[in-house]
Amino acid sequence: MIDERDVETLARMAGLKIDPAHLPGVTNNFRTLIEQADVLMTPPIAGETEPAATYHA
Amino acid sequence: MIMVEDVHGVCVLAEAVRRGRISAVSLIEDRLERVRRLDPLLNCFTSILEDRALAAAAEVDAMVAAGRDPGPLAGVPFGVKDNYDVARRVTTAGSIINRARPAAQADAVIAARVARAGAILIGTQNMDEFAYGFTTENAHYGATRNPRDRDRSAGGSSGGSAAAVAAGLTEFSLGTDTNGSIRVPSSFCGIFGLKPTFGRLPRTGTFPFVHDLDHLGPFARSAIDLATVYDAMQGFDHGDVACAERPKEPAAPGIAENGEGLRAALLSDWFEDMADAQGRAATAMVASALGIRQSIALPGTRRARAAAFVVTAASGGNLHREALRTQAGDFDPATRDRLLAGALLPADAVLQAQRVRQLYREEVLTAFRNHDVLIAPATPCSAPKLGQATIMVDGAEVAARPNIGLLTQPLSFIGLPIVTVPIHNGPMPIGVQIIAAPWREDVALAVAHRLEQAGIASAPIAEPC
Repeated sequence: MIDERDVETLARMAGLKIDPAHLPGVTNNFRTLIEQADVLMTPPIAGETEPAATYHA
Repeated sequence: MIMVEDVHGVCVLAEAVRRGRISAVSLIEDRLERVRRLDPLLNCFTSILEDRALAAAAEVDAMVAAGRDPGPLAGVPFGVKDNYDVARRVTTAGSIINRARPAAQADAVIAARVARAGAILIGTQNMDEFAYGFTTENAHYGATRNPRDRDRSAGGSSGGSAAAVAAGLTEFSLGTDTNGSIRVPSSFCGIFGLKPTFGRLPRTGTFPFVHDLDHLGPFARSAIDLATVYDAMQGFDHGDVACAERPKEPAAPGIAENGEGLRAALLSDWFEDMADAQGRAATAMVASALGIRQSIALPGTRRARAAAFVVTAASGGNLHREALRTQAGDFDPATRDRLLAGALLPADAVLQAQRVRQLYREEVLTAFRNHDVLIAPATPCSAPKLGQATIMVDGAEVAARPNIGLLTQPLSFIGLPIVTVPIHNGPMPIGVQIIAAPWREDVALAVAHRLEQAGIASAPIAEPC
């Protein structure tokens, strides 16, 4: 279970500082995001599937 | 001359102005008076551009008097979401952070195009901060109220634009849709909305949210009005790297014919499960009117929705990273917490989401080999109360803000053109999505027109009290 200390650590690594008053809200949202990210991982995607691209040379 | 307060609709009004039956100045004066009377009840507008609007209307009248054609949108009042540039005005995007930016030097490209077609910009309209929300409950500029029930949300993030159209304050409005921000407020306010194919309309001169998901599009109270406005906005522009170099493909001229003989199907599974009884009933009404007997499933939809959720948060967090670092206290709290969380997402999740996007696109394009249009509810429920924290979805109580877009997000993620049609089958209206293959806005608009002609979809003006 992701807790506020995890989020503080991630924020520090990302160069962001989260006000302690904002930490509960950010943590709740981060948990939701990680739940959604987990949905993406199974079943595995074949290696030939490239990310959708928007870059145009 | 006829009484301007009795005449409504983009095409009807423009024709009356072009023929000199009403003056553009009297039309704009009438609608500005309606705005002054009703907007205090609704909070659709963040600024009223009275002097500019009256000057532009006088120019239209002068053209008519000189025997020149002011264009297909002659004299028609419209508004833009507050993330569209308006010359000499700061584009706030619903934030106070953006107030430090310089004023825009020109109008957003598609706003300028409708103005060249004769339409008159009367103001800028309220939105969720930085377009990250589905309710237009903005901590800085207040909540926009639904004109059909002022205790309820107008939807978001283009809530001010949709509510203004529903209340007859503007004949059309221009909004943006990243995950559903045109389709959700269309559904909640009971009006028509178009999210074109990704890359169809240039976003030049609008404030971004998610670069590879942002779409622009119009709201109106009929399908033909929607198509007429859409046609006036088409065309390539170099200012948007995602804008496709396609010729204009007008939808209005064939709107009465293009909705016939189409192969249509209902979307099942996710699109049924995430809708409530009213949404399913509205979709069934549409299906019956179109003679649809087939349902199809898109198995990757849950994953596509999750991917859209992840890409949105990560991209938004990245876009606003500097302000999150230095001015976090100046954000709307609901926006700030979501953006900060997004800025912490691992790259692995974002890359996986973009691969999911590619897979889902292929799956859905396969479905379009056998179908011209797909039908699905637009929102899990009709407009919730303002401040309502949760909604019921598939038998479970879930947070409202992140889940109102459950039915719209997977589809905009792959850039399909979609018209939301309003169905009035309950105390509040609800929208149904008419989904077409890429670049076939004409098909979706023609189906919307057909449903309107059949008496299934309609968008009467709301009289808030």
